[in-house]
Amino acid sequence: MPISKSTYIGAAALLLLLGLAALLAIVATSLVLVARSQQQFAGVVTAREVRSAAADLLALVQDMETGQRGYLLTGDESYLAPYRQAVGQVARKAEALRRALRDFPDLEPVLGRLSSTLDAKLAELADTLQLYRSGAREQALAMVDTDRGNKLMEQLRGELQRVRESAEVRLDLAVDRQRASADLLRWVSILGAVAVILVVAGAVWLVLRYTRVLGRARQDVERLNAELEERVRDRTAELGRANEEIQRFAYIVTHDLRAPLVNIMGFTSELETSLATLQSYVARVVDADQCEEEDPATVEARIAIEEDLPESIGFIRSSTRKMDGLINAILKISRDGRRPLKPVRLDLRSVIETSVEAIQHQLKEHDGAVELDIRTGPIVSDRLSLEQIFGNLLDNAVKYRQPDRPLRLAVSSHEAPGRQIVVEIRDNGRGISPQDHERVFELFRRSGSQDQPGEGIGLAHVRALVRSLGGDITLASEFGAGTTFRIRLQRDLGQFLGSSRA
Amino acid sequence: MSSEARAVTIVMIEDDEGHARLIEKNIRRAGVNNAILPFTNGTDALTYLFGADGSGEVSRARHLLVLLDLNLPDMTGVDILEKVKGNRHTKLTPVVVLTTTDDEREIQRCYDLGANVYITKPVDYESFANAIRQLGLFFSVMQVPETN
Repeated sequence: MPISKSTYIGAAALLLLLGLAALLAIVATSLVLVARSQQQFAGVVTAREVRSAAADLLALVQDMETGQRGYLLTGDESYLAPYRQAVGQVARKAEALRRALRDFPDLEPVLGRLSSTLDAKLAELADTLQLYRSGAREQALAMVDTDRGNKLMEQLRGELQRVRESAEVRLDLAVDRQRASADLLRWVSILGAVAVILVVAGAVWLVLRYTRVLGRARQDVERLNAELEERVRDRTAELGRANEEIQRFAYIVTHDLRAPLVNIMGFTSELETSLATLQSYVARVVDADQCEEEDPATVEARIAIEEDLPESIGFIRSSTRKMDGLINAILKISRDGRRPLKPVRLDLRSVIETSVEAIQHQLKEHDGAVELDIRTGPIVSDRLSLEQIFGNLLDNAVKYRQPDRPLRLAVSSHEAPGRQIVVEIRDNGRGISPQDHERVFELFRRSGSQDQPGEGIGLAHVRALVRSLGGDITLASEFGAGTTFRIRLQRDLGQFLGSSRA
Repeated sequence: MSSEARAVTIVMIEDDEGHARLIEKNIRRAGVNNAILPFTNGTDALTYLFGADGSGEVSRARHLLVLLDLNLPDMTGVDILEKVKGNRHTKLTPVVVLTTTDDEREIQRCYDLGANVYITKPVDYESFANAIRQLGLFFSVMQVPETN
């Protein structure tokens, strides 16, 4: 089942949310449990405080009792030291116990009883000592003999024991609770971890599947691409064949045209030779008969021989010469087209510099300057073709400059998509009017005022060369302002030829 | 000019009669008086050179020189060149290729097949006449062996 992009994003988002929820749950539970644990810890602390306060209190009261007894037995004040020490602390301890017991509402009655027992005991101790000190020793000892103090002590011990037991119970309870929360925390963590692992596994599965789908899609694209390239190759090969056919055609036609031209020129020459013979004969005969009255037929014959015939022959000659020039031009283009290309690694800059060097002399003469801006690395192409292309274009730039301003040329190059490069040759020459932008590339067509010699084959030749290198040439021009030729070339001609022939 | 040289017959295979006439005129102007046998197509020329049976026996003991145009209506001159140079009776016969084709590969091919001279017909008549006259001088000093 294919996964669409939106399903994928939806599912991924859902998984992410699930994972987030699981994590949040773990965190929240942990927080709650930690809070509870803190609370329980506070409870534990209080219970321990209660326990220790109860023990301390009991120890204090026992110390006091011990002090009292020692004093009563011996009358030695030094035995009262523990009593004195404890009497200052007992109230504070009792208060501490009371405070600690605030959290133990169930011990309220015990606490009440405890307070009164303690007070009674303390009073008993204080009374006996008072009596003893005031000299009523018998009375004091009698008071001890009543065993009331002992009972009170017994009672106090019992009550404090109750308090301690109660605290113990609380402590045990708190520990149990603490253990339960730890268990709970562990389970929540395990569950959360399982949830996170599930979510991650789901996400991984989803990503893998989506990646597989993407991979298949990419394979499809690659296959289509390959087919497309194949088709482009086929077309290019077809074009190449068509081009070869045209060039072959041009070659045959020019050769076949040459054969009759040889005759026309040959026999014209023969005619001239014969005419010369005739002329000298007529001159001799007529000169001999000079004295005689010239009859109209002789005059006409003379005119024909001396004027009409040479004129006709002259026209035939000039026309055939022109025709020969044209045929040679076509032949040159077709021959260049048939020349096998030799793709070699070239530095474009050096090729262009060579071509610029060739026009340096004319440039100097016309105060011209060339600016180079080559931004392409080495290319693989046919050196001779490139030299002819740049040579022709630079020659044209010099030839068709605007005479009233110094010639400025700019040659630049940059990389272009599709393993190509673009070379631009800009001049500030006389420009080409818009209706001639395409026409100038045609054979024997020229543009503007015909003040320069030429047959109108340069640009046709350049275009044929550029196309044989797998590129194209176009121009942009403003009449009177200048022209920019834009040449698109294959960066690697060898590769291009290889692929178009494959 | 020796009597032997005079006995040489020039076989001119040229389909363009104008060219044939111009060639003949200029050969004569160069002072070459050998008989010229013109053929305007390859078939007739081959029949003359190799006989009806095509064995070449007929050319035995002939003194021949072939002037050959490559663009013929019924075959290319290269075929004729190949046949002449491939037959044991005619292989020593000098062949002068005289044609409009100036393709380097074609020229190379003709020399590879054994052509003795290759001349491109110049359109300019002065050059043309000159070339033929030079050829005439060449004929007058060339020793043509008897075919066997």
